[in-house]
Amino acid sequence: MHKAQSASALLIGLGMLIALGFLPAAGAGVNEAVPAAGPDSAGVPGVLPPTITAIEDTPNDGGTSIDITWEASPSEAIAPGSVIEYSIMRSDAEAGEFENFGTVPAGSTTYSDGGLQHDRPYWYKVTAVGLDSEAASEVSGPGYGRMQWFDDGLESVLALTVLICALIIGSIIYARHKSGLMYLRRLPVFDAIDEAIGRATEMGKKVLFIMGQLDVDDPQTVASMNILARVADRTATYGATLDIPCVWPMAMSMARETVKESYLRAGKPDEYDEDDIYYMTTDQFGYVAGVDGIMMRDRPAANFYLGAFYAESLIFAETGYTIGAIQIAGTAEVDQLPFFVVACDYTLIGEELYAAGASLSGDPVQVGSIRGQDIAKAVFVVMILVGVILRLIGIDIFTEWLAIG
Amino acid sequence: MSVFEKIQNLDRRIIFVTVALAVILPLFFPLKLPVDITAPVQQLYDVIEDLPEGSVVLISIDYDPSGAPELDPATWSVMRHCFSRNHKIFVMGLWATGVPLGMRALETVGAGEYNKEYGIDYVDFGYIPGGAIALVNLGRDVHDVCREDVYGTAVDEIPMMKSIKSADAFGLVLSMSMGVPGSDQWILYYHARYRGNLATAQTAIGAPKYYQYLQTGQLVGLIGGMKGAAEYERLVNKYGLATIGMDSQSIAHLLIIAFIVLGNVIYWMEKRRKN
Amino acid sequence: MRLRIPLAIIFVMGIFTIVSHFIPAQPVADLNQTFRNWYIGIISFFIFLGTVNLARSNSEKIKTRARDWKYSIILIISLAVMLVAGFYKGRTSMEEGNPFMYLYFNVQYPLESTMYSLLAFFITSAAFRAFRARNREAVLLLVAAVLVMLGRVPIGAAMWDGFPDVTEWIMSFPNAAAKRGIRLGIDLGLISMALRMILGIERSYMQ
Repeated sequence: MHKAQSASALLIGLGMLIALGFLPAAGAGVNEAVPAAGPDSAGVPGVLPPTITAIEDTPNDGGTSIDITWEASPSEAIAPGSVIEYSIMRSDAEAGEFENFGTVPAGSTTYSDGGLQHDRPYWYKVTAVGLDSEAASEVSGPGYGRMQWFDDGLESVLALTVLICALIIGSIIYARHKSGLMYLRRLPVFDAIDEAIGRATEMGKKVLFIMGQLDVDDPQTVASMNILARVADRTATYGATLDIPCVWPMAMSMARETVKESYLRAGKPDEYDEDDIYYMTTDQFGYVAGVDGIMMRDRPAANFYLGAFYAESLIFAETGYTIGAIQIAGTAEVDQLPFFVVACDYTLIGEELYAAGASLSGDPVQVGSIRGQDIAKAVFVVMILVGVILRLIGIDIFTEWLAIG
Repeated sequence: MSVFEKIQNLDRRIIFVTVALAVILPLFFPLKLPVDITAPVQQLYDVIEDLPEGSVVLISIDYDPSGAPELDPATWSVMRHCFSRNHKIFVMGLWATGVPLGMRALETVGAGEYNKEYGIDYVDFGYIPGGAIALVNLGRDVHDVCREDVYGTAVDEIPMMKSIKSADAFGLVLSMSMGVPGSDQWILYYHARYRGNLATAQTAIGAPKYYQYLQTGQLVGLIGGMKGAAEYERLVNKYGLATIGMDSQSIAHLLIIAFIVLGNVIYWMEKRRKN
Repeated sequence: MRLRIPLAIIFVMGIFTIVSHFIPAQPVADLNQTFRNWYIGIISFFIFLGTVNLARSNSEKIKTRARDWKYSIILIISLAVMLVAGFYKGRTSMEEGNPFMYLYFNVQYPLESTMYSLLAFFITSAAFRAFRARNREAVLLLVAAVLVMLGRVPIGAAMWDGFPDVTEWIMSFPNAAAKRGIRLGIDLGLISMALRMILGIERSYMQ
């Protein structure tokens, strides 16, 4: 944690300096258009040539793009429809061969030319293309793509990221040094888990555990794994059977390890059966059909739906209700929460899913991170109130700073 | 068991049959109710209408056959609008199982109805693996992420791709989405970096979530469910499955309201009886 | 040592992913691209692994005549047919006689959209069974639900042309506000979980 402490201090300092404006954002390389002397570009009579007004580095990029701005061909005003499009011609030498690298429709006056090498000079011409004629502007340049090391449109995002991380890491550090567990509101679902598994054991029926539609790279699935560890611990202790059909092979592998570890801890390694955790299909509704089939045939006594769910949430919950299973759900998918709340016995709403995993672990550090979350939420509430009040009295500086871009 | 209890414990199959009838009968006896236009759909229509002719519109097919009844009509209507304005369409998708849906839409609408030419007026890059990570790189370098189209043609051999290099090439990005990866990833990973016009079409269940992004300006339009698709069909004046489905949806909604009212009436009468 | 290397990798990759969001410079973007390609390669391999596992476990069921083994035969045959059709002509156009597209539009399409449509039946039975005006909040919820249901269909607008406007107001204000609040909480939970994983505090997924 020593590394985390100094890292968090560094992050806090950096974020504050940027937020207060003491550290400049990396400067954008701006090159004013320098019309170069070149060949006569009047073109064939018909359409008139546009005029390049600026060739500038595209801000906040890796130096691979240059913005070209021009005044539209006068022909657009004189004879609307005579200009079909503009061709952007580029060369890496002022008197070199120009090639077409982009086309934009008539009416456009800007183009971002990408795929360039940073800090190399490029020259441009913009050609107005008509039905029977075309006319090129004078050659302009050189323009340079400059690499930026900080996207200054994301200042506020960086500051908030640093703030939230600092609050959470700070709470974790505090929790490590505090004796005993920090207070965390006990969620009723914890008792429900034991009750559900006990009921399944008494009835001699299975416990069905559904981890959601996403893979292990999703935090909801990780939270689900935490709770699975507790569920597996209970099924091992009570002697109930677990059934875990999986959507993703990686999730299946990790679920197997989690359950195996739980059975080992409970002193029942022989009762672990890896075939209880199996890959079914990645297809959403193929999975729904398969799980519904399991419910209707095997009639599990306890169903757990913990993770990321989408359209299948109500199908699972209603089918589980009809077979009389006790149902415990938890998801951070806001759209699906109403269905679970209506059809299940207990529901972990949103962040409660993440908190439940931490709380069930009994680890003070994990509980500390939950407290950090709550403090960050309180800070957000204050910021929202401050922003609303300032906007109401006509001061926009705070809300403008928060806007991205 | 009292009458009220019997009704409360009504066999679910009776409920299912009434829902089926509510959906099927209007297909044979259409009501032809007019579809009103809501602001989020009108906003998207106006954006496409105001784009300079010949602009490139990226349409991401982020759904599979399960969402197709709601999202296919929206996709086809938007494509019709774009082609009628001579915009170019760049199709890709974050869902592998949605690829044939995009192919079918382009061939039917682009080639079939508007005589557009593949590679000049539209292009299809099919499934782009990597989800959110792919979007981060897409805006920076399109050619690097989309190396060959759905038919196996290299990106450099496609005429339309000459001027499409990065996010700046797209006049509008439209995610036709029903889950993950989808509009959330476009908003969080693409729009946060590259800005520009971003809109979404959603299944009805997902649409409410995106009103918050409409308010902040992160989305410039929203087509919600089959109703939104029917609105867009009306705006482009080409009626299809969404409009046909509106009668069924109307009756089904009334039926659900009736069941809710009935359930509550029974509940309160039973409660009074017991008291 | 067994845990330290994976934890170190997670820490470095996690910090890099966060930091690279703010740094547009080319070397960082190129490194990001490399990591993306690795990620795609790993995911692709695991999808292959899953398919092999699926075939293996169902073959085992057939061999041992386990419960519902006949469904496993259907699964294996379906898997084989789609694989062959996909390799044969999956990548070409919508031309007539393309077996992959035929199976996709005539088997997968109706099956999947039918499964999704089950929601209509389930929501009706859930509404009848569970949507009760038990208290003030529930009454408010029911009233809002009815207004939105009427405003989102043409028949509502035909009954009263104010329903769509009321619906849009509910969606744009109370709904958006609630979603925003819940979303903030969920995203903070997400950040907390991600930080725990990056700092090596959360290790359940590594067991």
